[in-house]
Amino acid sequence: MSELLQFLIAGVKNGAIYALVALGFTVVFASTGAINFAQGEFFMLGGVLGVFFLRLGLPLPAAVLAAVLATAIIGGAFEALAIRPLSAGDPLKIIIVTIGGSVALRQFALHIFGPNEMIIAPFSSGPPIRFAGAAVERQTLWIWGLTLVTVACLAIVYQKTMLGKAMQATSLSHDGARLMGIDTKKMVTVAFVLSAALGAVAGLAVTPLTQTAFDVGAGIGVKGFTAAILGGLGNPLATVCGGIVLGLLESLAAGYFDPLYKDAVALVVLLGVLFVRPSGLAGLMRRGRG
Amino acid sequence: MADMGGKPRLPWVSWLIAAAVACIPLVITDRFLIKVLTFVGLNVLVAIGLALLFGYTGQVSMGHAAFVGIGAYTCAFLTVRIGTPWIVGFAAAGVIAAAGGLLLALPSLRLKGHYLAMATLGFGEIMSLIFVEAESVTGGVDGFARIPPPSVAGFEFKEPATLYWLVWAVAGVALLLAYNITRFRPGRAMLSLHGGEIGAVASGVDVVGTKIKAFVISAALAGLSGALYSGVVGFVSPSVFVLSSSVMYLAMAVIGGAGSLAGPVAATALFTLLEYLNALIPSMPAPIAENLGLYQTDIYGIAIILVVIFAPRGLTGLWQRRRSASSAKGGSLAERRQGSSTQADTPARPEGLEEGEGT
Repeated sequence: MSELLQFLIAGVKNGAIYALVALGFTVVFASTGAINFAQGEFFMLGGVLGVFFLRLGLPLPAAVLAAVLATAIIGGAFEALAIRPLSAGDPLKIIIVTIGGSVALRQFALHIFGPNEMIIAPFSSGPPIRFAGAAVERQTLWIWGLTLVTVACLAIVYQKTMLGKAMQATSLSHDGARLMGIDTKKMVTVAFVLSAALGAVAGLAVTPLTQTAFDVGAGIGVKGFTAAILGGLGNPLATVCGGIVLGLLESLAAGYFDPLYKDAVALVVLLGVLFVRPSGLAGLMRRGRG
Repeated sequence: MADMGGKPRLPWVSWLIAAAVACIPLVITDRFLIKVLTFVGLNVLVAIGLALLFGYTGQVSMGHAAFVGIGAYTCAFLTVRIGTPWIVGFAAAGVIAAAGGLLLALPSLRLKGHYLAMATLGFGEIMSLIFVEAESVTGGVDGFARIPPPSVAGFEFKEPATLYWLVWAVAGVALLLAYNITRFRPGRAMLSLHGGEIGAVASGVDVVGTKIKAFVISAALAGLSGALYSGVVGFVSPSVFVLSSSVMYLAMAVIGGAGSLAGPVAATALFTLLEYLNALIPSMPAPIAENLGLYQTDIYGIAIILVVIFAPRGLTGLWQRRRSASSAKGGSLAERRQGSSTQADTPARPEGLEEGEGT
């Protein structure tokens, strides 16, 4: 029983990270109709830049903030330099450019920060917290907390602010939004800034547990995308659920079968969802309601 | 591209190029250089498949290195461990890679949108894990060593020159097949997808079937290239079939340009030779050669972005623009051509000339 609880805790912990990366995918997908292959690199940059700012001597909160801001700026700059010059409405071109961008970002990180793994000390020190026979690392609580706060902020921005409403309008129809006086090009930039920040938060929060390096982006990109597909690539709530479900499936497969299978789970889920229910969990919910 | 299906036969220039490619080992005696040119042939084989998949059908694969790996390990395992004749291992490499491609393509390509790209990325990551972990088949981290050279009906392809001929013969046959595909109905169906699926559907094109066909063909060619690779090198290491190799293959297809076989083939030759520039220019200072290796992947990444933004039709587009300008001044492509060996630029000519005749 406590073993199962331990697997569930690990699953929800990884799931929260996947959820943040998946939200980054859905935000960009909503505004461009394309998959952003550089999403995993934003995750990598968050962790690597966090280590960089800590080594500069910044206190932890300042380093975290600086890393998220710097990644967000890089995301915006990438959009302005590489995505905006493309003629709008061709997802294939956007995908190719983000593939090139992900390679470039990964290589820049390699040249600047080196090939070695890097780690951050846990955000708060202390022994794991015991709970019903299972142990919860303090960093896991930080991951859950940061994910909750980030998702709440994103929801508030989307629901309550003019910017969020403009972004929603853009995702429904570029032409329609432009007729309403919305600067849709700016909304695409905002989407990249937001998704970079989301990736950076995830990368920072998980680095104390998993370490980071220049090449962690591709793997997490696949997982985050799988979570996003599982959630239907739209509804943010379904996206978060997709992340948690994927995390749980992975941790149960690794716990009860073989840790080797952990990474295969995402691909199986990805192909399975595409084969069986391309609309993901959101489609399932809609069907349940209808 | 309008004359894609109009020409009844290959232009005579391509036969000339084929003859030139075949004669190279008679002229060049440097064994390393021959080996490098053999690697060009191996990459060209992959590039032909990707030209069909990306350039004609508009589908992105981020995992073709995995198919090359499947081919390499299949052929090595069958010939060394099971003891089958090499030709059986070679054929099985193509078939198994194609089967893997089919399994991946069936779910990913039923839907609109570019899910295949992410599925292939995940597939590539998983396969590179499997290549390391399935030690009993692949030899694990240490790799698969002591693979005998290819042999057909008792003849062993041991010498660099004979290996070169074998690889380029396979590449030539593949190029001929691909050329025939592109000239007729299947090729036009593929090209119609690159322009836009709605138009293709309206024209009665079987969108899903065409995409799957292109993907399976490209996976098979990658598998065959891997099988040849294992025989040429005699050793297979899992560190070769990784994401950066897949990105390199994709970069060749993107930079080569859509709707053309010659463009990707030329881009492949250019990029492969760039990797081994020190073989072409023996006097090159070591620091430059080292840095070139270090920044190779950067070059692919940035080149992809620049090509999509500034030259969306790749080398093919640049070449055609230069032809239609018809001035002797030439563009950047002409300069680049002069800088590389005959090997690099010759494959681009047939289509360029065709275009010239057409206009």
